[in-house]
Amino acid sequence: MKHITRLAAVAALGAVMGTGVVAQELFAPNLSYRTGPFAATGIPLMNGQRDYMLMLNARDGGIGGLPVNFEECETGYSTEKGVECYEKTKGQAIVTQPWSTGITLQVLPKTNVDEIPILAPGYGFSPMADGKVFQWAFNTPASYWDAASMILQYLEAQGDLSGKKIAFLHLDHPYGKEPLPFLELKAAEDGFELLPIPVGLKEMQNQSAQWLQIRRERPDYVVMWGWGAMNAGAITEAVKTKFPMDNMIGVWWAGHDADLKIVGAEGKGYKSISWSYPALDAAVLADIKTHVVDAGNSLSNEEEMQGVFYNRGLVISMILAEGIRAAQEHTGNAQITASDLRWGLENLNVTDARLAELGMTGMVPPFQTTCANHTGHSGGWMLEWDGEKFIKTSDLLQAEADAIQPLEAAKAAEYAEANAPWAMSETCDAPS
Amino acid sequence: MFYRTAGQFKTSYESDQALFPVRQDAILLAVILVFAWVIFPLTASEFTFQTLLIPILIYALAAMGLNILTGYAGQLSLGTAAFMGVGAYACYKMVTLMPWLNPVVAILLSGVFSAGVGVAFGIPSLRIKGFYLAIATLAAQFFLVWLFEKWAWLYNYNASGAIQVPNLTMFGVYVAGPQADSWVQYYLVLAIVSVMTVLCINLTRGNLGRTWKATRDVDIAAELIGINLMKSKLTAFMVSSYVVGVAGALFVFMWRGAAEPNLFDIPLSFRILFIAIIGGLGSILGNYLGAILIVGLPVVLGTLPAALGIPISSSMVEHINVMMVGGLIVFFLIIEPHGLAQLWRLIREKLIIWPFPH
Repeated sequence: MKHITRLAAVAALGAVMGTGVVAQELFAPNLSYRTGPFAATGIPLMNGQRDYMLMLNARDGGIGGLPVNFEECETGYSTEKGVECYEKTKGQAIVTQPWSTGITLQVLPKTNVDEIPILAPGYGFSPMADGKVFQWAFNTPASYWDAASMILQYLEAQGDLSGKKIAFLHLDHPYGKEPLPFLELKAAEDGFELLPIPVGLKEMQNQSAQWLQIRRERPDYVVMWGWGAMNAGAITEAVKTKFPMDNMIGVWWAGHDADLKIVGAEGKGYKSISWSYPALDAAVLADIKTHVVDAGNSLSNEEEMQGVFYNRGLVISMILAEGIRAAQEHTGNAQITASDLRWGLENLNVTDARLAELGMTGMVPPFQTTCANHTGHSGGWMLEWDGEKFIKTSDLLQAEADAIQPLEAAKAAEYAEANAPWAMSETCDAPS
Repeated sequence: MFYRTAGQFKTSYESDQALFPVRQDAILLAVILVFAWVIFPLTASEFTFQTLLIPILIYALAAMGLNILTGYAGQLSLGTAAFMGVGAYACYKMVTLMPWLNPVVAILLSGVFSAGVGVAFGIPSLRIKGFYLAIATLAAQFFLVWLFEKWAWLYNYNASGAIQVPNLTMFGVYVAGPQADSWVQYYLVLAIVSVMTVLCINLTRGNLGRTWKATRDVDIAAELIGINLMKSKLTAFMVSSYVVGVAGALFVFMWRGAAEPNLFDIPLSFRILFIAIIGGLGSILGNYLGAILIVGLPVVLGTLPAALGIPISSSMVEHINVMMVGGLIVFFLIIEPHGLAQLWRLIREKLIIWPFPH
């Protein structure tokens, strides 16, 4: 029992010393996962995020003259560690980036009380788009329901969906179940048959049962909501069972180059919807090369830097940096607070012109957030594996806002009710 | 010197059988209680509450439940996390169906459900023992987690399949959910864990505890002297699952705030088993020591490099942390295979005769 006192004393010491370092920087911690079962997909994303912030620090001296402290707190994708990291960083942080649907779920109600913006680009809870209810949560630039909608549109463009059969291969986890409400709605509307096939966390690497079912049911398309080891498992299994790759489409987290490199040319035709694209001629990459890679500060490597995930990491940090910049311009102070950043993230306006200034043309579609709309609904491109890399295979697709919006509002209201009393923003319509 | 028992005479059977025959033990416990009830809550930060104090108490309680079954009654179980899940889901259903229910009552009642499920899965223990029983409890583990996933009624048909703790009040103060203050939750957890500990100590020292120990040591001999093995084993499953179920409800309602089914999967069972084994099987104190080592130590080690100003990346800290904690577990098990509680027992015995060994 004496241990407790000693441990507490050490922890208290840590907390005291931790508070000493807030001076004159923007503390934007990242709850990274470079260890654990999902590390293979995490590392390129984390490296991309980190390199962009390091590049800003080296090239411009940070944002608005203040360096960004982009400290990482390692979670290993474990919810327990995630909450630990959140508690550790929330005192001084202006943002929290939870990086896992499980951690997001856990932290989401807390951020509403602690008043810290939670930035979950392209993941988390789709109804977070409703900024009136989820004042502090941002899943800019696109939600999972957007992804489902864009995938269905793409399929519709290939031919009428009515009477078709779509298998929905998903991780049996909050993340994999996320698009189900929307897909069910559309299945009833468009008259296609939806066949949800869950993959348990323990079966990720061995999906023979699921693919046997797919072979038996002969679906026209397989839509995949996978993560980590599940993607490689599904893709190798699809190749093995000779499923036509052209008819297999994944969400943006199922578009990792390394997963496809395992099957190489045999994976040709596999598609993944994405709101980011590795535009390798973009000016920002040259800047990162000069300021970060050549200075020896990058943790990444040549091959990884050409991949989809690394470049998505850059876009994610760009969203945060733009939010910080907007907040600084609005308040006139370089040192912003968490609630200033919320204003910034609510007033993002990433236009084509702005993207050109940032040197990121073609890496992300333009988008704009408002107080009521925290997603921005950028739309996305369909990427296709050509045997060696992902290439754009469609024009910009846009999610059907009128189908998604009522669902978002309904689910957001449900969430707020279940978590009553839930602080909501009433001032969205007022000019700020 | 500090632990001298000279001069402490026992003049009655009651005083000889007292919980603390040595006065210094009582004083030590009083000091610990003062720390737990007064000093920690006054000095702890939000971070300390959420990552050290509350989880250590909850894990210790879960390990205590397992310890009753495995350490006292000798029935090896690998399904602890699933029974915790039963408690958590039962509590969730109760507070959502009956929002007027006092949260503490709901937490204490949720143990009843897991006790029922525990007895059902304990029935095989009447026929099988040891590793074979471990497999039977493993079946409970897989079946229950599968049930948490598939039975949508359990999570109120929530699209994400996870349960989210609503804001609950007790006498006008938030005790669960995001609005609750950490110190309120800490006191609640501390109170429940304290009551449960007293209960467990008394049970294991009493008649029931003796039958459990007899069942554990030689069950045939126990049967020959007239112990009803069925009753003994099933009560062990019942009491153990009750405590574990309450720990599960606390785990989700007083600490995590949300839970998905795979949280209650086998890694959690193993974690609790490790706490019980490293702390010491057949000991109440050991559960706390084990929880401090397994739950608390990694957190403290993780904050050390930053506190000391050593510039290493957080993923490196994590790797080092895993290695150090693993090394410490091996170290403690080598110097004392019977766990930390036994280590403390030996230290105490040495202290009693120190500095004048015979």
